[in-house]
Amino acid sequence: MTTAIQRPTRPPFYRDVTVLKWVFQIAFLIGIVTVFWLLGTFSIANLAKQNLAVSWDFMARPVGFQVAEGFTTFPESGFEALLVGVTNMLRVTISGILAATILGIIIGVSRLSHNWLVNKLATVYIETIRNIPLLVQIVFWGIVVSIIPDIVVDETSDGSLKSLFGLRLLPEGWIFASPKGFALPWFVPTDGRWQWVGFMIVGAVATRYVYRWRIRLQEAGTAEARAFLWSGGVLLAFAIVGTFAHPVMGIFGPVFGFVAAFFQNTPIIIFQIVLAGLAVGGAYYIIKKRLDELRTPAGLGKLTDDDWFRLVMAAVVALGLALFFLLQSGPVEAIVGQGTIFGQDIGFSQLFTGLENRFSFVGGAPFDFSLPAIDGRFNNYLPDAGHVITRAYFALWIGVVLYTAAFIGEAVRAGVLAVPRGQTEAGFAVGLRRSQLLRMIVLPQAFRIILPPVGNQYLNLAKNTSLGIAVAYPDIVQVGQTIFNQTGQTIPIVISWMAWYSFVSLTLSAIVNRWNKKLKLVER
Amino acid sequence: MTDQAIIDCRGVKKWFGDFQALRGIDLQVTKGEVVVIIGPSGSGKSTFIRCINRLEVHQEGQIFVDRIELTNDVRNIEAIRKDVGMVFQSFNLFPHLTIMQNITLAPIWVKKQSKSEAEAYGRELLERVGIPEQADKYPGQLSGGQQQRVAIARALAMQPQIMLFDEPTSALDPEMVKEVLDAMKELAKEGMTMIVVTHEMGFAREVADRVLFFDYGQLVEAGTPEHFFTNPQHDRTKLFLSQIL
Ligand SMILES: Nc1ncnc2c1ncn2[C@@H]1O[C@H](COP(=O)(O)OP(=O)(O)OP(=O)(O)O)[C@@H](O)[C@H]1O
Ligand SMILES: [Mg+2]
Repeated sequence: MTTAIQRPTRPPFYRDVTVLKWVFQIAFLIGIVTVFWLLGTFSIANLAKQNLAVSWDFMARPVGFQVAEGFTTFPESGFEALLVGVTNMLRVTISGILAATILGIIIGVSRLSHNWLVNKLATVYIETIRNIPLLVQIVFWGIVVSIIPDIVVDETSDGSLKSLFGLRLLPEGWIFASPKGFALPWFVPTDGRWQWVGFMIVGAVATRYVYRWRIRLQEAGTAEARAFLWSGGVLLAFAIVGTFAHPVMGIFGPVFGFVAAFFQNTPIIIFQIVLAGLAVGGAYYIIKKRLDELRTPAGLGKLTDDDWFRLVMAAVVALGLALFFLLQSGPVEAIVGQGTIFGQDIGFSQLFTGLENRFSFVGGAPFDFSLPAIDGRFNNYLPDAGHVITRAYFALWIGVVLYTAAFIGEAVRAGVLAVPRGQTEAGFAVGLRRSQLLRMIVLPQAFRIILPPVGNQYLNLAKNTSLGIAVAYPDIVQVGQTIFNQTGQTIPIVISWMAWYSFVSLTLSAIVNRWNKKLKLVER
Repeated sequence: MTDQAIIDCRGVKKWFGDFQALRGIDLQVTKGEVVVIIGPSGSGKSTFIRCINRLEVHQEGQIFVDRIELTNDVRNIEAIRKDVGMVFQSFNLFPHLTIMQNITLAPIWVKKQSKSEAEAYGRELLERVGIPEQADKYPGQLSGGQQQRVAIARALAMQPQIMLFDEPTSALDPEMVKEVLDAMKELAKEGMTMIVVTHEMGFAREVADRVLFFDYGQLVEAGTPEHFFTNPQHDRTKLFLSQIL
């Protein structure tokens, strides 16, 4: 007896996996959009009842408050105030990431150390820091600074100011500590710094070539590489020469001026077409790349539902963007700098005009060495003398750095431990020295393991800077809060916050993911 | 005899904590000799050959390799490691480097050869172990047998006088064992001095000049393969051979 083989029949649509997937994806999308739309309309209606229309006008209007620190303390508009908050947030984030990385590596390596004392100290550090909420730590550091005795203006003898902490090693008046924070001697940038930075970019490119050249020599067997020494030397040489020779970069001034004029004077329709073309071209590139990835020698593999979904989404988004650019000249005008955005005259044209002005400046040192100074009347540091680390900045910075370093240290330790013992043994067996072994075998492999969790910690650090509000650090959160206390415009402010933090997070993860992909081991 | 010995071990003892893994090993190996070490698990075979290139540190006795004594002197250790190649049970290839980079790393950085010189020799070695076409792949893309042959080529790239093998075929599927053993036989024929820890009795019988039996950290019995498989003397040797043959 034979049973007939059951031919696959097309299932009814409500059991078809493909249909279900698409339905769920689209339903989800619609659901999300609806929720936000409802939330938006309700809040707008609610605000309207209180005679408050949602409006972005505050961005262009003058604000009636002063910001505690930043590139300007008297912002001229709501937009500029938020910009000060943004740069303040970036200041903490970037220097915090650098410091936390260095400290984290030291902590992680100490945890692996055979030296009992070093090892135990690192362990105690990690266990203490990790188990106390970051907010508490930031407040703690704020308190620590605030109990430093205030600066005494000693007018009885010679009227000079006394620095605290009794730093008698240094000349009187070089380092100050007070409840307001710290002040140190510093190289204060002057107008020439832009040309100098331009010079250093050229130097960085040159250093890269020198580094490769040394590695090639080593591989050709003609010389010891000493690549780090060489590239460090070249960079230092550029920094020193650039201090005097930086005005040569002034030739870029007219170039930037030309670009600015181009953005200002080209008819807007051309930019609209170019942007629309870029959107379509970008989508074409993404789709083509994806299809190429799926192509095997045997021909194009069968596309999965996910593939289809992605390809269709890319095409739809691109077409939407292209239409937007073609139909709406306003946003495009704002981007290239022919129009305004939130009443602000910012865009590519203005950016290049700014660069032109900065690069055309000729002469002068890029940096001035300057000592901190005190405004005797208010017992306050003069902002433009030396380098002032305010109480709020210090508390937030030291808080996030110490906290993040503990986690980075654990990631480093785990990464190094995860490199199998056999790798070390094989390296020794072929005769590598300990330093070569670390550099060429252990660290490259450990790095792959360390990178993803450390990238995560960078994201955490960036987001945790918002806790600075506890010590009144004027980041975008604190400034935004001040604005909506004054104007009642909560929704635009919250949208600005979300946009900014998403932008930072996405940028950071994009960087980390790129590295991660580059370092991935090739497996079968 | 002792002055010609390329490896000369005198009363080598080694403890892990209070556990004694080696209880005084005396062994002289002459140039070109193939020595196979057999013995039950935990008898100290690995520990012994790892002492020869200082992956383990012996605490008593002396080890001379090519008349250089292994001491705490870094210079001696480096000199000896250049002269002694090692192949591990688990291959231990560097997964982040290509096959060619695995092979040329030490010649370039330790022997200071030029890259082209090292690569030319590397290609020759890959040819010899029968996988010239794999040079640009990564270890993860090769089969176990191929990986172990790369490991042999990597060790040979330093042009060592002595090769140590620690159970080179134990982690391999049966059908890959032969290709690795063939590469090792080839090497033995060319006159390489070899110390091989293995359970492959066929290999021992065919290639070994001398077979050593280890038990409880001691060299219990030594002799030709002939002697071992026909006329073993010690009871422990007899027991061990009866279990594995
Ligand atoms: N790093 C170590 N720490 C402590 N004990 C060790 C260590 N390495 C080896 N030993 C012990 O020393 C003894 C000898 O180990 P060894 O690896 O040399 O044995 P072996 O003869 O190679 O065995 P196998 O055939 O299983 O590989 C074993 O009892 C083992 O437990
Ligand atoms: Mg062993």
